[in-house]
Amino acid sequence: MAVPLLQAQHLVKRYGSRTAVEGVSVTLQRGESVGLLGPNGAGKTTTISMLAGLIAPDSGEVQIEGLPITGDTDPRKRKLGLVPQELALYEDVSARRNLEFFGSLQGLTGAELRRAIDEALQLVGLMDRAGDRVKQFSGGMKRRLNLSVALLHDPDLLLLDEPTVGVDPQSRNAIFDNIEQLRRRGKTILYTTHYMEEVERLCDRVIIVDHGRIVADDTLGGLKRRLAGTGRLTLDLSAEPDESTLQAFRTCSGITGVEVRETRVTMTLEDLTVGLGAVLEEVSRSGLRVRALESGQASLEDIFLDLTGRSLRDV
Amino acid sequence: MNQLLALFRLDLRLFFQDRRSIVLLFLVPIGIASFMGTLTSNMGKPSERGGLGLVVVDHDRSALSVGLVSALRRDVNFQVTETNEATARDWVLSGRRPVALVVPDGFGANALFGLFDTNRKPVITVLFDPSRSMERQMVEGLLVPKVFQALAENALTVESLRSLVREGVTRIETAPNDPTWDRTTVRKLMDQTDTWLAEQTNSRPFQRLRSSSEAEGEFGIPLPYTTRAEALVKGQAEYNAYAHSFAGMGVQFVLMAMIDLAVGLLRDRESGVFRRLRSLPLSRTTLLAGKAVAWAAIALISLVGCFAFAMLVFGVRVQGSWLGFVGVLLATSLLASTLGLALAAVGRTPAGTRGFAIGVILLMVMIGGAWFPSFVFPKWLQTVSLAVPTRWAMEGFNAMTWRGLGGEAALPSIGVLLLFSALFAAITWKWFKWEA
Repeated sequence: MAVPLLQAQHLVKRYGSRTAVEGVSVTLQRGESVGLLGPNGAGKTTTISMLAGLIAPDSGEVQIEGLPITGDTDPRKRKLGLVPQELALYEDVSARRNLEFFGSLQGLTGAELRRAIDEALQLVGLMDRAGDRVKQFSGGMKRRLNLSVALLHDPDLLLLDEPTVGVDPQSRNAIFDNIEQLRRRGKTILYTTHYMEEVERLCDRVIIVDHGRIVADDTLGGLKRRLAGTGRLTLDLSAEPDESTLQAFRTCSGITGVEVRETRVTMTLEDLTVGLGAVLEEVSRSGLRVRALESGQASLEDIFLDLTGRSLRDV
Repeated sequence: MNQLLALFRLDLRLFFQDRRSIVLLFLVPIGIASFMGTLTSNMGKPSERGGLGLVVVDHDRSALSVGLVSALRRDVNFQVTETNEATARDWVLSGRRPVALVVPDGFGANALFGLFDTNRKPVITVLFDPSRSMERQMVEGLLVPKVFQALAENALTVESLRSLVREGVTRIETAPNDPTWDRTTVRKLMDQTDTWLAEQTNSRPFQRLRSSSEAEGEFGIPLPYTTRAEALVKGQAEYNAYAHSFAGMGVQFVLMAMIDLAVGLLRDRESGVFRRLRSLPLSRTTLLAGKAVAWAAIALISLVGCFAFAMLVFGVRVQGSWLGFVGVLLATSLLASTLGLALAAVGRTPAGTRGFAIGVILLMVMIGGAWFPSFVFPKWLQTVSLAVPTRWAMEGFNAMTWRGLGGEAALPSIGVLLLFSALFAAITWKWFKWEA
């Protein structure tokens, strides 16, 4: 098997008595797009900070292409491009000047630097605003520029720490498009977020972290298969069902779980085509009417709930 | 009303959460006010001050001149050093002492006659540093009672008064006839005075005069001497007050500019720029060196701009060594940049660091002597001021501009400024937090 582009083994980071990250191991193969999913405070940013060499782990090791990073100036750092959660930009100078500065620190000069800047601006769609001061940009434009800085030196691995925080849906989609384009170019991506739809759209594999520990590391399909049922059926009934009706639902063929919240009943089932007919028959038999019906597949939200016992957004 | 109350509560809560703001609000004004109060109250208590460093050259060595030096020594306003004229000139020229008095030969013989005869008034030369004219005025003011005191103690003897009377008699005899007065009567009156003085040889008839002069310090009679003030600058150099004020303000505002740069660096840490920098193949040393050079360049540009304006508009000139001047400029710029970095290294938050830095720089400027002349400081503070780099920067600039001194006179300033720069660099190296 090829040497992983990035491999982290048993990373631990403590701040006083609080353990932010405990025994996290991450392996990224070339071309992979991996989501690091977890609620706020789960340890995602601390993990990515250790992977990028911003902070030293209390124990454990990070290797790039099989070798550990030694010191601040290790040239292997050029393999990485970090997009921090914060807008790490100088607001009082133009977008181009920002890119020139960070590109120079990456060792780019002259025509090579100019070409890299033009390509990065082109990718994020800011070429026509290159000369404007960053403080004149919208939040979404700043986010795109924040992304472009990490692309200047054409890194193999992009570490994206919640790159869409606080942006409007349009800019968010633009950033997704940029990342998808980078995936197509073969870049390896580690994407941290607490938005499941982002991971579902952008990542092949998902690492779920909670309280500083990895609770799951699998492909999206693999994670969904862990649930008892991957289908979801929600009925909004004309009245709250009684216990006998609920019991009848539970005994329907293919139904693996039933939850009730007033008139809404949510059922998990293996196969919608098998279970749906039986459930509707039971509704009819109970004398209730169906006001609305929703069906779909289990989401990462359901998986997180199943793994941690709590909702991702409520944490 | 509820809205008003809510706004009121919120602002108080936010303010008191930031401990450094509280420090800025309370401790800095308390500290500065205490310092200024100490100085201004000491202005009325000279015994608590170090005294003005006064140099005295006594060419006369008469009882009167020795008595004058002794009277000056007893005054707590002065710290008197007696030396020769060449050394006195050198000390004043180099700024080591602000004022020197040169008592001329014949001072003792002529001072008493000078009370009555303008032509016989001895001339005391006051050598002074032209940037310290306040001290010169103080010396000239306090010299008056000292001379009278010395006269009363050393020159108002029976013999000196009898010689004064005898000289009067000679003048009467040689004066042309004047119908408005009777020569014989006046002569008789003076003879009787002389006889009376001769009878008082062993008495102390002037006790009352002496005690009166000491107690009241007021003299309704002409001065027995005159002064000749001589501002000391080297060669053809001329004192230009703008050279001093532009140097002072230049240094002060360069240091103030460093506060903004230090706060900006802390903001970079807060804004995430540090996280990005840390992810690059960039060392802490390179980052700090880059900042130090850039900030020194900013300080240098600011100082050069300041002096260029002073030269073009107010005729300030480098009357000493250009090499020395450039050396002081560079050393001051390096000092400013390393001080800025040290402030950023010890500061935690931008707001807290701003307050702390303003306090530090105000103290440096005050103790450096920019607001009050250092001779009004208590003795301990005068000693402390030697450990303040702004004082050395000022002395270096003064030496190379209006004092017109050679490059070697800039070396102590440059050396001390570089030492302070090294100290601030060490503080930065030790405490600058690079982990993001």
